[in-house]
Amino acid sequence: MGPYDSSISAAAGGSTSSSSSSACSSSTKPPDQMDHLLAGAGYKVRSNDLNQVAKRLEHLETVMVKSSPVDFSELVNDAVHYNPTDLASWVDSLLTELNTNVSGQPGPGTADLSDLRDFPAGPYGNGNVTQTGEFSQQAVTPLEEDVSIRLVHVLMTCAEAVQRGDLSLASLLIDDLQALLGRVNSGCGIGKVGSFFVDALSRRVVNSPQNGAVQVDLSAYENEILYHHYYEACPYLKFAHFTANQAILEAFDGQDCVHVIDFNLMQGLQWPALIQALALRPGGPPLLRLTGIGPPSLDGRDSLREIGLKLAELARSVNVRFAFRGVAASRLDDVKPWMLQVSPKEAVAVNSIMQLHKLLGPNSSRGPPIDLVLDWIQDLNPRILMVVEQESNHNQPEFLDRFTESLYYYSTMFDSLDACTAQPEKTLAELYIQREICNVVCCEGSARVERHEPLVRWRERLSRAGFAPLHLGSNAFKQARMLLTLFSAEGYSVEENEGCLTLGWHSRPLIAASAWQAVPKPSAATTGL
Amino acid sequence: MAGSNETEINSDEDKKVVPLHTRILISNLKLSYNMLRRPDGTLKRDLAEFLDRKVVANTVPVDGVYSFDVVDRATSLLNRVYRTAPPDEESLRRLDAGIVELVKPLSSCKIVPVILFFHGGSFTHSSANSAIYDTFCRRLTGLIQGVVVSVNYRRSPEHRYPCAYEDGWEALKWVHSRSWLLSGEEDKTRKVHVYLAGDSSGGNIAHHVAHRAAISGVEVLGNILLHPLFGGEERTESEEKLDGKYFVKLQDRDWYWRAFLPEGENRDHPACNIFGPRGSDLAGIEFPKSLVVVAGLDLVQDWQLAYVRGLQKSGFDVKLLFLEEATIGFYFLPNNQHFCTLMEEIKKFLQT
Repeated sequence: MGPYDSSISAAAGGSTSSSSSSACSSSTKPPDQMDHLLAGAGYKVRSNDLNQVAKRLEHLETVMVKSSPVDFSELVNDAVHYNPTDLASWVDSLLTELNTNVSGQPGPGTADLSDLRDFPAGPYGNGNVTQTGEFSQQAVTPLEEDVSIRLVHVLMTCAEAVQRGDLSLASLLIDDLQALLGRVNSGCGIGKVGSFFVDALSRRVVNSPQNGAVQVDLSAYENEILYHHYYEACPYLKFAHFTANQAILEAFDGQDCVHVIDFNLMQGLQWPALIQALALRPGGPPLLRLTGIGPPSLDGRDSLREIGLKLAELARSVNVRFAFRGVAASRLDDVKPWMLQVSPKEAVAVNSIMQLHKLLGPNSSRGPPIDLVLDWIQDLNPRILMVVEQESNHNQPEFLDRFTESLYYYSTMFDSLDACTAQPEKTLAELYIQREICNVVCCEGSARVERHEPLVRWRERLSRAGFAPLHLGSNAFKQARMLLTLFSAEGYSVEENEGCLTLGWHSRPLIAASAWQAVPKPSAATTGL
Repeated sequence: MAGSNETEINSDEDKKVVPLHTRILISNLKLSYNMLRRPDGTLKRDLAEFLDRKVVANTVPVDGVYSFDVVDRATSLLNRVYRTAPPDEESLRRLDAGIVELVKPLSSCKIVPVILFFHGGSFTHSSANSAIYDTFCRRLTGLIQGVVVSVNYRRSPEHRYPCAYEDGWEALKWVHSRSWLLSGEEDKTRKVHVYLAGDSSGGNIAHHVAHRAAISGVEVLGNILLHPLFGGEERTESEEKLDGKYFVKLQDRDWYWRAFLPEGENRDHPACNIFGPRGSDLAGIEFPKSLVVVAGLDLVQDWQLAYVRGLQKSGFDVKLLFLEEATIGFYFLPNNQHFCTLMEEIKKFLQT
């Protein structure tokens, strides 16, 4: 059966049977049924809306031609585009833009972090989450060398042995692997990342995860060093901060009292930029409260407070009224909403950069930690919940599946690091990543916190928990691309994925950023947008 | 100059000829492209990349085809490779796990065609990982039961002539040097059986790469050009008649040539006007056989037909497939007879 047989019947009205929805040109279909043909082109249009969309496209063109027969690009110069996959809403938003911009006056220039726009009254995704693509996010390091292929085979076999519990075979295979590592090109690709995985496997075999203590606990200071160098060596954290700040800024538009809750303050690297952007806001800065959550200090320093003081000083220097509060908690589900002291008058932004996945571990006595936390976030009624996560599935129940997926994910990430030549940034960044790898491979149960899940799963989860997507638009996209020009490597790519932004290496997304808004709980009519 | 008066947009006649889905898709592309081009010849590249729908490669076979990206470390060029799924369980298991082994030839007994594909977009738009092209390449791979390699060449206006041709040439050499693309019986027909293909600007690139290959003694078994982008200073009848009628305005075509050709050049440049006053003489070289597909509602058709005549006059084997009621981009969706005809012709072309 050719790949195109089933779809001909639409035009020819023939009798070719087909299970594809596009085979029916009319007739009633479930209202949410997406057109299959346009889906293949990357667009989501409901089958029942096809004619409408065609008309609206015509209308858009007519309006554009009438208003500016020569220069379309100037006409919608400052329009912010959202979610191009949803064709109907994209066309509508442009029509709205054109109607409010009748004089065709160009806007104030390119959007920057301080250019605030209200979120469009566009569709909030219709609650149910459509499959964003049948494709998995698998990465591949194409293996052209015999020895690389052998290395991967033995890695897989070893992981299989570990999964079966055959630790003696696994040990033997690890010896094999050490030998292979000596022969492979360890400077890049599978050779580079392979050594980290062999190391992780050998730790797991030697200290079975049940005994815990597989990962050496670094001091907070050492942790900070690795984090800082990871921050400098590659754009992933900067992208996360940048994109989050842009979205938070937009969410705070017109608000006088704002409260940001940071799920992992670390060195507070994200916040100076936001403070400065708020300082420059037309109409003046709001009162900014920042609540930083972080692990309790083990060495007597109150690092949360120290960071808070530094940020307060910066805020003072740019005349932003600022208040900081530190909340020490070893786990996010230990945090109680009252600790955050949110006032009903303030606009709240919850900022979670690579934190939510840590809540996907075993249930506590109070139930699944993630549900607990999402629940109290909901109760805070935030104007925005910003979520940035690793774009991969490292939380699969089978060890071998996790192992394989992480092998390719981190191999791509290491490839991207290859382009960084600065030392010690590069080496320390690699160590930072190594800790993640170790956690995915060596740990189990509550010790395994790096339980990354892809965007497609987070969308489901957050929708079920009562959040609606806030789409990141073309201005955030543009900012992210500008950020990348600061990194000399050419392979980084920012992509738009149904209202979310991803940053990846050579077409493989590695980090995904999405924004959400709490949907009011009592079943107020969600207008069918 | 024809076309400067208000052209009728989407008259009823147009509606009948163009299937609904195609009309939605191509209109949408047209409108977004209109918003991206600036009168000064620059492009809003950030917005272009934002609007372009992309898909990741996938080693898990879908409808019998899987894909993966390979970066040529020497040139940083990304190639997306499409292959048919292997029949055996073990290989499928490996693909599921993301392992793509690239050592063994495609076949030691039969010939497996490898199509080096250049996506369209008037040298400016789209990428190898654009959804429309990913889907098309998958269909093509399934059809030919071979391999398709889609090249992510550098685009104008940031990279003008001859960048795209250079990238195409590098890709051709890369394909020829892959041990895992070999097919045919050892010692007899063992080699990489390469064809070049492209739509719109991709077709133009395919021609020029084939030309260079012919002069350099690198083998190309055939060219498949889907409404290739050619032009010239002169205004042809089809350009005047069809200006603005089916998604494309002549002034837009002009913009893209200005963005691609070296600054100050005109459309009689040999990149654009193959058999024109400045065209190079192809006589005497071993140019591959060609399948040229012309859409009857494409305003560029006169140039494409001139190209076909030029090839014939030079003594080369060329088959013309003229699809009277087809518009540009008819092959993006399999919802019309033209698509089926095209697929049949491509299959035949690879078999002769």
